[in-house]
Amino acid sequence: MKRAVMFCSMVLCASGCDRPSASPAVQHVALAGELSTQSAFDTNCRGCHSQGAEGAALPLVNANYWKVATDATIIQAISHGQGRSMPAYLASEGGPFTAEQITSLVHGMRTLWGDGQPGGGGGISPVLTAGSASAGALVFSTACASCHAGQGTAGSVVDPMYLRMISDQGLWSAVVYGRSELGMPAWNQAMPGRPTGLSAQEVCDVVSWISSQRVSNEKVTK
Amino acid sequence: MSFLTSALLSSSKATMQWIEERTGVVAFAKPLLFHHVPRNAKWWYVFGSATLMFFTIQLVTGVCLATVYAPSAAQAWESLNYIDKEVPMGWMLRALHGWSSNAMVVMMAIHMLQVFLHASYKYPRELNWITGVFLLLTTLALAFTGQVMRWDQDAYWGLGIGAAIADRIPLVGDQVRALLLGGPIIGGETLNRFFALHVFILPGAALGLVGLHMMLIIKNGISEMPKPGAIVVPSTYREGFEERMKTEGVPFVPEAVQRDMVFCGVCLIALVALAAFYGPFGPGGMPDPTLINTNPRPDYPFMWLFGAVSLLPPASETAIMLIAPGVGVLVLIAVPFLSNSGERAPSKRPAMVLVALVTVMAIAALTWEGMTSPWSPVMDGWSALPTPAKFTHGRTPLEMQGAVVFQFAQCRNCHSLDGLGGKRGPELDDVASRLSYDQLVRQVQQGGGNMPAYGKNLDSAQTAAVVAFLATLHPSNEPDAKIPGAQLPPPPGSANAH
Repeated sequence: MKRAVMFCSMVLCASGCDRPSASPAVQHVALAGELSTQSAFDTNCRGCHSQGAEGAALPLVNANYWKVATDATIIQAISHGQGRSMPAYLASEGGPFTAEQITSLVHGMRTLWGDGQPGGGGGISPVLTAGSASAGALVFSTACASCHAGQGTAGSVVDPMYLRMISDQGLWSAVVYGRSELGMPAWNQAMPGRPTGLSAQEVCDVVSWISSQRVSNEKVTK
Repeated sequence: MSFLTSALLSSSKATMQWIEERTGVVAFAKPLLFHHVPRNAKWWYVFGSATLMFFTIQLVTGVCLATVYAPSAAQAWESLNYIDKEVPMGWMLRALHGWSSNAMVVMMAIHMLQVFLHASYKYPRELNWITGVFLLLTTLALAFTGQVMRWDQDAYWGLGIGAAIADRIPLVGDQVRALLLGGPIIGGETLNRFFALHVFILPGAALGLVGLHMMLIIKNGISEMPKPGAIVVPSTYREGFEERMKTEGVPFVPEAVQRDMVFCGVCLIALVALAAFYGPFGPGGMPDPTLINTNPRPDYPFMWLFGAVSLLPPASETAIMLIAPGVGVLVLIAVPFLSNSGERAPSKRPAMVLVALVTVMAIAALTWEGMTSPWSPVMDGWSALPTPAKFTHGRTPLEMQGAVVFQFAQCRNCHSLDGLGGKRGPELDDVASRLSYDQLVRQVQQGGGNMPAYGKNLDSAQTAAVVAFLATLHPSNEPDAKIPGAQLPPPPGSANAH
């Protein structure tokens, strides 16, 4: 009997002693401590950048994305926001994370979803460079128009309201990374009329042409 | 050897006598321990003892916590984290105090329910009931002030709500609020004020009331199990009861106390298990009023009040918040005066059983409402709940941008898609079959029906995008909503174009 009591109390001690508070981590606790990549992603990013076919914005479970995008550009986007619809996540800009946490989150995501490479590869520069709108018009008509022209099945990319919503860099991301789960190939994959995809220069050309279709002079610069 | 034993025995006996002669402690304790209780009481009467046990645990753990806790607004939150993380087994101490507090309220409610169902409050035990009601109020006050001790977001907003209720009292609202908070707003003095209540005034009151309650138990005895036909007649009851206790009763020690101890033991094991498994309550986020991305909740004993207050029609709030608690307490106090004689058996008092049943169900339902609080936005809905795949497939670039705006503008916090999201506003899975394109634009920009206007938050492109997305939300077999004669052509490129 005595032994049983001893054993039970030992088990109780062993199981309980270093159990931390069971309350769910809240925002400021996250700020103070280390983050689990998956749980930070689940509460802060997943609403837009979800995994698989869900989610409206670019999915981050996309090997192509981690090949091309560098940590610096991703950290920049998370810290300070991007375009019209991505808020800043840095604490000093009203977000929930410290700079260290953002860095560790990006490294964590790269480990989870990347191919072990640091980014900046994939055969294309990670930022938009100058392109020729007139060359882009030709690229569009051969590589994109079968889905995106006029009221094509995939919808117009020259809708003035759409063009007001998206930056040139955003257009570039859409072309480069694609949305394979929604039927849009990445830049270097086969497209109707372009079995080998586009070249890096053609990507910039076609972005330049789409951008030239903006109707007002309020070009989105960010 | 035997000489030594007998000498020790006789000397201890002499000491006892010396003390007894001067204090009467044995004469006092004897009836406490050996008073006769009904033979048939069995397991029905263990709940009061368990409540007392939890109260004792509260006193012990509370005193221990008070040795480390810093009752200052600047350090309270830090000191709780210190207790949780640095003090050896400190987390367990806080967990025990928190869980025992809830257990005490629950056990007290069960005790009260049993007393009510068995009509034990009838003559001569009216004052047992009334001291019990005051013990309930004191316990709830301890629970509320204890929640304030955590000094986290829940405490902050809980206090804010309490102060706002106090503020509604006509004429003296300002003064009552100032008295509670130690100033016009929640500040440094507020915590000290609640600390004094929580560790001095209320426990003192509770101890006094417990003493009174016990004294009345000894004086009036424990009521017998109710039997149909065994009618309480005040003029003859006491005589008959004392006679029956003499002949049929059993001494509290050891007959009844065995069951009390077994039940208390089970409760204690359950308490330690809950504390070890679930850990302490909070502290939640820092009590910083600028952190609005929070969903403060009261502790369990007040969840039903939170539910009730949240569901009140706004026009009736002041009247109900100020009058209902007073009326409730008066009704509880009035219970033994409404009927203190006659039948005690539940089978002969169906209306009272129904009252108890309705009360329990109402509190359970309101607690559930309070816990799920479908009227509150899901604060991280926008950033945690993805747009379901069925609403992203086959959408145009503009509509996809609209889906992003839908998340970005935090529409999801109040509106659900595919069952996920806030329940404050209507589900939007089929909104396009209810509202036409123009109505959607109007609703987004001007709000209405409890929805804020987003006209100033979203520019024309964002509005166009989000409405383009919303306009795709209808079952494929249902047409878009149309208002005859009010249809403007939607922007080119949207899937809504006809």
